[in-house]
Amino acid sequence: MIPFLEARGLTKAYGQLRANDDVSFSILPGEIVGIVGENGAGKSTLVKMLGGAIEPDSGSIYISGERVTMRSPADATKAGISLVHQHFKLIDSLTVEENLVLGRPELRHGVLNFKALRSGFEGVGKDLGTSLQYDARVSTLSVGGRQQIELVRALFHEPRLLILDEPTAVLPPTERERLLCLIRRLKERGMAAILISHKLDDLYDCCDRAVVMRAGRVVGSSDLRSDDRGQLVRLIVGEELPPPEVRRGTRGAPLVSVRELVVRRDNGTVAVDRGSFDLHAGEIIGLCGVEGNGQTELMHALAGMRAIEAGEIVYALGKQTAVKCDAASLRQAGVAHIPEDRLHHAVVPSFTLTMNWFLRKLSERGLVSFGFLQRLSAAKATHEAIAINDVRASGPRARMSDLSGGNQQKFVIGRELGEGVSVILAGHPTRGLDIRTVAVIRNRLVAERARGVAILLLSADLSEVWDLADRVMVMARGKLRGPVPVGETSLAEIGHWMTTP
Amino acid sequence: MITTRLIRLGLIVGFAALVPAVFVLLAGQSLWRVLTTLVLYAFGPQGWSEVLVHAIPLTLIGLGVAFALRAGLFNIGGDGQFIAGTVVSVFFAPYFGGLGLVGLLAFLTCGFIGGAALGALVGYLRERFNASEIIVTIMFNYVAVQMVSYLIRGPMADPMPFWPRSYMIPPDCILPVLVPGTRLHAGLIVALAMVIVFAIIQHRTVFGFQSLVLGANPGAAIYAGFRVKALTVLVMAVSGGLGGLAGAVEVGGLYQRIVDNMGEGFGLAGIAVALIARLEPIAIPFAACLFGIFFAGGGALQRELALPFPLVWIVEATVIFAVAALHWALPDRKVAA
Repeated sequence: MIPFLEARGLTKAYGQLRANDDVSFSILPGEIVGIVGENGAGKSTLVKMLGGAIEPDSGSIYISGERVTMRSPADATKAGISLVHQHFKLIDSLTVEENLVLGRPELRHGVLNFKALRSGFEGVGKDLGTSLQYDARVSTLSVGGRQQIELVRALFHEPRLLILDEPTAVLPPTERERLLCLIRRLKERGMAAILISHKLDDLYDCCDRAVVMRAGRVVGSSDLRSDDRGQLVRLIVGEELPPPEVRRGTRGAPLVSVRELVVRRDNGTVAVDRGSFDLHAGEIIGLCGVEGNGQTELMHALAGMRAIEAGEIVYALGKQTAVKCDAASLRQAGVAHIPEDRLHHAVVPSFTLTMNWFLRKLSERGLVSFGFLQRLSAAKATHEAIAINDVRASGPRARMSDLSGGNQQKFVIGRELGEGVSVILAGHPTRGLDIRTVAVIRNRLVAERARGVAILLLSADLSEVWDLADRVMVMARGKLRGPVPVGETSLAEIGHWMTTP
Repeated sequence: MITTRLIRLGLIVGFAALVPAVFVLLAGQSLWRVLTTLVLYAFGPQGWSEVLVHAIPLTLIGLGVAFALRAGLFNIGGDGQFIAGTVVSVFFAPYFGGLGLVGLLAFLTCGFIGGAALGALVGYLRERFNASEIIVTIMFNYVAVQMVSYLIRGPMADPMPFWPRSYMIPPDCILPVLVPGTRLHAGLIVALAMVIVFAIIQHRTVFGFQSLVLGANPGAAIYAGFRVKALTVLVMAVSGGLGGLAGAVEVGGLYQRIVDNMGEGFGLAGIAVALIARLEPIAIPFAACLFGIFFAGGGALQRELALPFPLVWIVEATVIFAVAALHWALPDRKVAA
């Protein structure tokens, strides 16, 4: 059988860095191939070359045995390759249909036949089993809904190869299941797919084989038998993962007591509807829920970033039993917060690491005196922190936006955690990060619990919650369910709670 | 990569040179004569001090614009804040007679407070009613122009009202001339002192850091626990205060009173100055000198070559466009803070 696509010796360098170095692989019609590797392994560069966004420095691509040169995404489309990006390229204020039309070449001719296009979209949509409202604004859709738009857009060209970049990173479990189902259906029709993912479960659930990349090279492949999982991880990471931290905590007094809490969104709708729970020292409560059901607002209210409308949050920290609820005082009192939206909250991407270090340290002695920043002390502290937390950066003067997501997250965690922290609010702390970083961060949280820290872990990854949490709590349409001990519930029950408030 | 950037830079500079050139040619003058007149005047025995005289208020207003813009706030109200500074300082000036240096400092402080009050009001309206500071500052410019126009014809008018102008300030409030025979006054020292003070505030203090974070990533400001509303009001107040200080300095250094239309066009030029300096305090006096050349030289072109003064505004607009396009040609700024 002639492979649908074959890449031979693709190489792409950015300055000194060889992002892709002699990458070769092939994919048969109807085959689903997973590409895995840590952040910076070169997956994105490879995808960009296959999608026509960048041209390789050397090497070539063959489609059905014919050599092709792709200079733009349009060339890739012509060759039968469609791409669904990890970060959706949608305009929130436009409707679903308008967004779909934006991607169409017909737009160039100045006049659009909306009717004809609509029936085309609907055809593809129905085929996918989606229930897209074509007149709805994108801003009103869930993450899953947005992804469906991207899928309709990608499949409209009837591609023969669909490339999905981290498609499950942001999806709740039910929608993930649906997506994987869909990919399997497309396979039956002879469409090939490349699935880029950090989650090994995705590969085992859906792919025929996996290609492993590390440092810009293809270092091996796996036919995904369930007994070689450890081997696959070693291949990805290039060494053994740190063993999972298993120390339990001893449950102590409640450190955070939430009573009848009501929080509103910016648009005035109720995000948290009379929620109550206690978070004890030495325990991890996993907070689950479909994105947009109020979890973010709950976390922000707990961290002092959002005003509460009614009810109360009582922190029992040190000598005080209640702390003034603003983010800076809470931080000082020992409430650490790892925000879920790293780039919009946790760091200032355009600042250096040292200046980012100041962000949550302005009340720290030694770093600020009489309103003046002590930049030398901060640079020193940053230098130590990046060494201890294994942040890969050129130094304290590196710009935050030059770091990979995993390194940014390690920086944030290094800044937040430490002496004097007794509560950790962690919003999706491992989302979108590579396997090794995920293992490091999870171990860190478990170790903090063993120290007697109370941790609220917001996570979309139920297996993570099951691995780490003592109790689990679900949020659906602003209502809290639980917390219940993990041993007394099941994935099915939690999944049910997530969808029925 | 580098060649593309150079080509782009060339295009931008070419554009910036071409547009004014077209208008000079339309006005029937030779480019060469315009250029030589401008350069000879600006670096000549009389011109250099006039360039600096114009650069003083432009430096102060530019500093204010840059400080607000770094915090993500677009203060277009330089003109209004300048006027507020002149009004408040001249209003209180009679009380400072006979106080010597203290009186002068009090006079300048009043100018700062006048502009700051107006700036703070804009900040408050933004935080309380979600009013765009761009629109509000522009509107206040018109309000300020009409108010001062009333004041110098009414309550604050010269006791001998030949022209619409205010009464004189006492001698203690007058900024001394630095170089005899020129108009160059001690406002230069005030402006340079402010440049140093703001360079330090911006890069070394908690307040400056907070304002930079607010501009670079408002979400991070909330995460860090800054009191964002108060910070916004404060930044607008400081920004407006610099505009007001420019007003007081202009009164104390040049006119000794408020006259009609003084400082016209400085607000807009201040924005251009801030943009050319890429919002960096230390670079602002140099950018202000460039515009000082245009302003002072514009007068010379009008006198000697009969070129209309609005040519200066055309140059100004072109420069704003060119600077706005610069990011297209330059690599990203490596370090923002």
